[in-house]
Amino acid sequence: MSTESRFRALVLPHLDAAYNLARWLARDPHDAEDVVQDACVRALKYLDAVRGADAKPWFLTIVRRAFYDWYRSNRSPEIVRDDGLAIDSAVDESAIDPAQAAERRGNSDALEDAVGNLPLVYREVLLLREMEELSYKEIAHIVDIPIGTVMSRLARARALLQRSPFLRAIVAERAGGRP
Amino acid sequence: MNCHEAAPLISAFADGEIDRVQSRDIKTHLEGCPDCGKKHRDILDLRSRLRAEVPYFTAPPALRARIGDLPRTTPTRSADRVERGRWRWLLSGALAGCAATVLAWIVGTSVLTWRANEDFVAQAVQAHVRAALNNHLIEVASSDQHTVKPWLSARLDYSPPVPDLSRDGFTLTGARLEYLAGRSVATLVYRYRDHTIDVFVRPESSGAPPSAPRTVRGFNAAHATGSGMSWLAVSDLNPEALAGFVGRIARGPDQ
Repeated sequence: MSTESRFRALVLPHLDAAYNLARWLARDPHDAEDVVQDACVRALKYLDAVRGADAKPWFLTIVRRAFYDWYRSNRSPEIVRDDGLAIDSAVDESAIDPAQAAERRGNSDALEDAVGNLPLVYREVLLLREMEELSYKEIAHIVDIPIGTVMSRLARARALLQRSPFLRAIVAERAGGRP
Repeated sequence: MNCHEAAPLISAFADGEIDRVQSRDIKTHLEGCPDCGKKHRDILDLRSRLRAEVPYFTAPPALRARIGDLPRTTPTRSADRVERGRWRWLLSGALAGCAATVLAWIVGTSVLTWRANEDFVAQAVQAHVRAALNNHLIEVASSDQHTVKPWLSARLDYSPPVPDLSRDGFTLTGARLEYLAGRSVATLVYRYRDHTIDVFVRPESSGAPPSAPRTVRGFNAAHATGSGMSWLAVSDLNPEALAGFVGRIARGPDQ
């Protein structure tokens, strides 16, 4: 099979998944396009290393790497590291004014905001699981962590989301007081 | 099963990632325990909300069109290889230049490299022990090098050779990935009689000389370089046999 037909068969079917992942990681449509474009160029290079059944996790691995490379050269590196302190401060409630955010965006977008504000290490596993419905094993390969870590990060991601200030503000508003 | 045991598993249970036996225990517990049952329902509820309320962004048509044209507009693979080759030349040129001029620098770096290797050996032994304890020695089980090699190269930015040493009594049983010293490392798993041998294969970068077999926490580690890779074998096999094995494996197929 020629490079072009392999690219069509293995990469293009997963372009939406790639864009969605990049879009949620980078949180900007233009940056996401850059990341996907870069990932596709990389995927072209290593096309003959992949088999059909593995194409999606393989391609998403490349997209994720392309994102982190882009991220390192464009944003401050502190948050990339999986550092408990950095993560806790990243979800520090005092850093966000949830009521204001909720008012600005409207209730229906609260969950979207909550997901977007998860620290990267939790956001990526949550997206791969809940939006791409990948198995722990596939996620472990993509994120390059042991399966046990996938399990604990997902549990933590959900816990963070459930007590996210963005969602709590809505719950509080609906209940007419504190949750 | 009590709440303490069930709590950390609820999230994985909701993902259908718990084995059948444990699933039954968790299910029984969730039915009987209102607190844990609610936690489980909350996760399912969160899932349906995520799928209903959070947008799935699809690739814009312009991007799709641009990507579709990529195979025609991007240079071919052979051009990339040349470029990577050039990089390697540049790197080794820089190393050689420094080596010739700054002796002290070499001594300094060799100490650092030695330390880094030391550190890598310790990490590799740890990885070996961890994998054996968790019964997670193998992610791709195959005695066929033509299955293992593509599995590894699909997941790494290098493609390690997977030698067949069955004639010497070392059978390939599979491979897995380990995360060591800040990067993913191909780990080949061989069997020799009752011994399991992990072989950590990295692209050779420092050209450090093979060190004598060492013992770390009762496990033996032997290192060799060859076929463009750095090979570190970790096992409870005796040091001489292990050193012989790693030397053979690094030399690659018989000429």
